Amino acid sequence: MGMIILGLRNLLRNKVRLALVAILIGIPFFLLLAMYSIGDAMQRQTKIMNENVNTVVQLRGRGSMGHVNMVGQDRLLPQDTLEKVRGIEHVEHAEPYLLAMAPITPPNFVMHVGLATNAVKRLESHGEAGNPRIIAGRDFMPEDAGQDVAIIGQGYAKWAGITPAQIGDATITIDPTRTHPAIYGMDRPKRELRIIGMYASGYIFGDLQLFMPIETFRSIYGTDQGISWLFVKVDSVENVPLVAQRLRETVGDVADILVPESAAVFTATTSETVTQLTSVGGILAVTLMVIVVFFVLLMMVRERAREIGTLKAIGASNGGVTAQFLTEAVALTLLGGVLGLLLFRGVGEMVTGRLFALSIGPFLPSHYKPLFESLAINNNLSASALALVLVIAVLAAMIGSAYGVWQAVKLSPLEAMKHE
Amino acid sequence: MNNALIEFRGVSKSYRKGSEVVDAAANVDLRIQERGMVAIVGPSGSGKSTLLHMMGAMDRPTRGEVLVAGEAVNRLSSGELTRFRRKTVGFVFQTFNLIPNLTALENVALPMEFNGVSAAERSARAKALLVRFQLGHRLKHRPRELSGGEMQRVAIARAVANEPRLVLADEPTGNLDSRSGKLIYELLQEVSRERTVIVVTHAEELAKLADRVIHIRDGQLVEDPNSAIRLASNTL
Repeated sequence: MGMIILGLRNLLRNKVRLALVAILIGIPFFLLLAMYSIGDAMQRQTKIMNENVNTVVQLRGRGSMGHVNMVGQDRLLPQDTLEKVRGIEHVEHAEPYLLAMAPITPPNFVMHVGLATNAVKRLESHGEAGNPRIIAGRDFMPEDAGQDVAIIGQGYAKWAGITPAQIGDATITIDPTRTHPAIYGMDRPKRELRIIGMYASGYIFGDLQLFMPIETFRSIYGTDQGISWLFVKVDSVENVPLVAQRLRETVGDVADILVPESAAVFTATTSETVTQLTSVGGILAVTLMVIVVFFVLLMMVRERAREIGTLKAIGASNGGVTAQFLTEAVALTLLGGVLGLLLFRGVGEMVTGRLFALSIGPFLPSHYKPLFESLAINNNLSASALALVLVIAVLAAMIGSAYGVWQAVKLSPLEAMKHE
Repeated sequence: MNNALIEFRGVSKSYRKGSEVVDAAANVDLRIQERGMVAIVGPSGSGKSTLLHMMGAMDRPTRGEVLVAGEAVNRLSSGELTRFRRKTVGFVFQTFNLIPNLTALENVALPMEFNGVSAAERSARAKALLVRFQLGHRLKHRPRELSGGEMQRVAIARAVANEPRLVLADEPTGNLDSRSGKLIYELLQEVSRERTVIVVTHAEELAKLADRVIHIRDGQLVEDPNSAIRLASNTL
């Protein structure tokens, strides 16, 4: 039978207690998984931010917002800036944008954006990146270059009376002659663009924009040369300062260079804070597991002192007694682990998401909330993650049971002689 | 007297009880031969259990030497003690001390497993023992499903499972009615034909069934004139 099997059979002696202890271990195990998943989600989100924000440097015409029709803000970057920038080491790629404003009532104006069909659709939001998602129709394809097609924000579409069902057939007329206190009219013909897709960005101004191929934009507004904004993607966060320095040296006389320091600092500090919080939470969960195992084992040893004495009197070795109690501790912890895992698979996403929203959400600047609300808690742990958590649980069982096992080993066979 | 299984040489055992020192055994010299049943009787606190514990290497003397089967058990290491308990001695307890979640068969087989006996052999030997002790119909029963007398018979089967030369029984009838108690003594008598059985008891009537009775009072041994095996000297 062996002491290991005897240990496993001992678990079934008191089924009510077994269930209670499994719950007591399962709850910290659930918390451990929750902390792990928050940390994991944060890491993934940070990676996305690092890829999309922290490594992107923005260039605009010096002293200008760089919108082709904005009063006093229409100075563009010279066209050769693009080639100069592409020649700098550590620049992964550079995406030129052209921007124009268009008046509407209300809410005053919308933004027209011209970009390469394969470019990341960065929203005009004071230089920060957004994350528009196509909610109807389709995204640009290479063959859309130079075509009279556009992707519209859901707010702009609502103003224009375009519904998601009409995407693909609906059109919108671009009229460069229209003016506004901040917009001057351009003597250019109207152009009708077919709406091939609709996006949502998660915030109002982000939804009031219209993306079109950059060649189409140049044709509509007569801007053969020049770039409103140039987004420069650096190959890594570490190289951003170096590239920024080279940009200042190369095109600093014609361009304002916006390095995403605030975003980088924010990401770094937020990631660090969340990592610290989840680490502390994880340590607390493991500690709780150790404490539960500690008291349960101590109780079992006290309760079964005479039985341990008997086992020793009939020939059980100290190693055998240790194996028996360690088996019980590890099996109990694994059982609690399975319970915690099932709980996590059932309600982990909801509970963890709320836990994160409550603990971190209030500390986020308002314009970052849409990004963080999309934080994807994954309740499907990878095999390696699960193995790691199980190893931690087994270690917790061994640490928690050490004192109880030592007490058991210390017991003399004389305990068997004690009468009740 | 050279073939003594147990030999006490000037053994004393003292306990400290608060500020008082209690002598549970005082300079005891004792020899017990191979085979036969020996009863140790005496009032509570006289030191009879202390003698039994020292014979089973569960307790060490304060002074003197305890030899069992030629081994000075008070000098054995922890590992050697485990081996000694597996091979040389079997215990029968007043409260039976069966493992509650094991069947009668498993309880009897357990010491054999500790002793490295193969699964098939220990199962066969445990079954044979239980049949011999009229428990063939209780093989798969757990302790809670057995009567007191049956539990003690399982415990005796467990004690002899590894065929030890010595069986130590601490008040084996203390929790049984007189009829069951008598049956257990008869069983121990039967067992003592092949090995030495030492029984600690309060029951004078049952002690009379033993081949030899050792009285102990205040840690001192007293010879019983009615013992079947007579003593050679004042030393027991």
